[in-house]
Amino acid sequence: MEPLPQDVRLVKRAFWLIRLRWVAIAGLCVTTFIADRIFSIGLPVMPIYIIAGCLALYNIIVLLLLRRSKKNHFKHGMPRLTVKKIIHFQMSADLLILTVLFHFSGGVENPFIVYYVFHMIIASILLSEWESYLQATFASSLLLLLALLEYRGIIEHHCLKPFVVFEQYNHALFVFGTVTVVASALYLVVFMASSISTRLRNQEQGYWEANQLLAQKDRIKDEYVERVTHDIKGHLAAIKSSLDVVARGFAGSLKPQQQEFVDRAVDRTGVLATFVRQLLKLTQMRLSNRVENEEFSVDEVMKNAVEAAKVRAEDKGIRLESEIEGYSFKVVGDRLSVEEMITNLIYNAVKYTPAGGQVKVRALENSEHIIVSVKDTGIGIPSDELPRIFEEFYRASNARACEKDGTGLGLSIAKQIIESHGGQIRAESQLGEGTKVEFTLVKTCEGKN
Amino acid sequence: MTKQTILIVDDDEDICLAIKALLESKDYVVETASTKEEGLERLVGVKPDLAILDVMMASWQDGFELSRQIKKDPELKDIPILMLTGVKNKTGFEFKSAAGDEEWLPVESFLDKPVEPEVLLAEVEKLLQK
Repeated sequence: MEPLPQDVRLVKRAFWLIRLRWVAIAGLCVTTFIADRIFSIGLPVMPIYIIAGCLALYNIIVLLLLRRSKKNHFKHGMPRLTVKKIIHFQMSADLLILTVLFHFSGGVENPFIVYYVFHMIIASILLSEWESYLQATFASSLLLLLALLEYRGIIEHHCLKPFVVFEQYNHALFVFGTVTVVASALYLVVFMASSISTRLRNQEQGYWEANQLLAQKDRIKDEYVERVTHDIKGHLAAIKSSLDVVARGFAGSLKPQQQEFVDRAVDRTGVLATFVRQLLKLTQMRLSNRVENEEFSVDEVMKNAVEAAKVRAEDKGIRLESEIEGYSFKVVGDRLSVEEMITNLIYNAVKYTPAGGQVKVRALENSEHIIVSVKDTGIGIPSDELPRIFEEFYRASNARACEKDGTGLGLSIAKQIIESHGGQIRAESQLGEGTKVEFTLVKTCEGKN
Repeated sequence: MTKQTILIVDDDEDICLAIKALLESKDYVVETASTKEEGLERLVGVKPDLAILDVMMASWQDGFELSRQIKKDPELKDIPILMLTGVKNKTGFEFKSAAGDEEWLPVESFLDKPVEPEVLLAEVEKLLQK
């Protein structure tokens, strides 16, 4: 099962929290340094730096834990509960460490105690509403405990002089007033941030569901097209078989006019059969993400394709050339589909190139990819139509004018094949001068250099 | 020389008739059957020199099953089989490489439908010469 988007996001945010902590550690060290060296505030710097060190160590441990967990659940995504536990642990530990830091830097007198607010915002983004309130309660309790212990003199109070002129840690009204104000602020922040993030979460869930529904409908459409074209293909095979018997004279010879009309019927059946076959292939590729996983050499496949198209090019008086530059052309995928696709690209080039022209097939390699191009000196494609030629059923206006037959599916199939192999396909063209179709295929690991 | 007999098993009557006409024009004796069961019956009765089977009949793999039954039967196992199909894409199997694999697809040859008359005639001739 694919992990849900909210789960993927949760994992990403768990990592985000770790990055935030690095920023916080750096901020803590810089602030302490400035307060100590520039403003000469009487801070116990050593414990603070030690805490910063512990925080860094703890951040590394959480990072390793999260990475290991992610690796173990590589395929199906990490279980929501595990990620949530890690996030809860991190948030609680952060609040505890923050409180200990405040103890060494003036307790309730330290104006930085408003920084608890950031933890509340993060909690509201990452956790559910009630979990965020739980964190607010935990933070308020820690602050109250710290204030109370210092107020009662149970633990030592570290003075922030000269930043604080009058020590107020033992004035009940100030201490508990401050704690109340901070605690109320924490609850308010959780309330506001949670309602915003809940709304966003719901909205996103809605988009995700709508997207799933669209994908499902698209699939139903494809299945429908597949069924219909499959049935049509069966009827067409019967029509063609019957017509062939008559047209090729196996049922006796025909008068010239009869022959002409039967030949026309055979031709049109052939065009329709090609169309149906291509539509079926495209639909089936869209329906199954399955790609054959055999290793093959693109240069060999290319040679076969050139060989297959040779006669057609010669018949039309077109020079067909091929050039291969490189050492390793090994890829993994569906050999037959790729070979058929290259053959069709060459056929296409031959079809739209006038007699006396040239079609050149080239294969190159770089460190990651094999690049194959089919370049012709044909009629070209108008620049405003170029972006649309990979669309299903689209045929350029000049192609329609010069060749009646054509399904407009060949390049869509090529694109589907290349993309299912993790490659890319593109075309460039100058009207009246020629077209170049170029695609890439990913090399096998051993072929990469 | 006696005429050679060919049995066509295909549930599409039009295709059966077209292939029949084609083969009869080359002086073969042609019998037809439209189901797997009828096909087996005629095979035993007629003992043809060649069987042309469609893969997809009532069920999508009737042709496969029939071909396996033929090869299991000591009386019939020597009859060469030519399989015709338009289901290559449907099943996703690569028939060509599997043709001749006794375990998997015990047929001598395989052609994709619709097949060109000349191609079919050449293949039939080749199989009958063996």
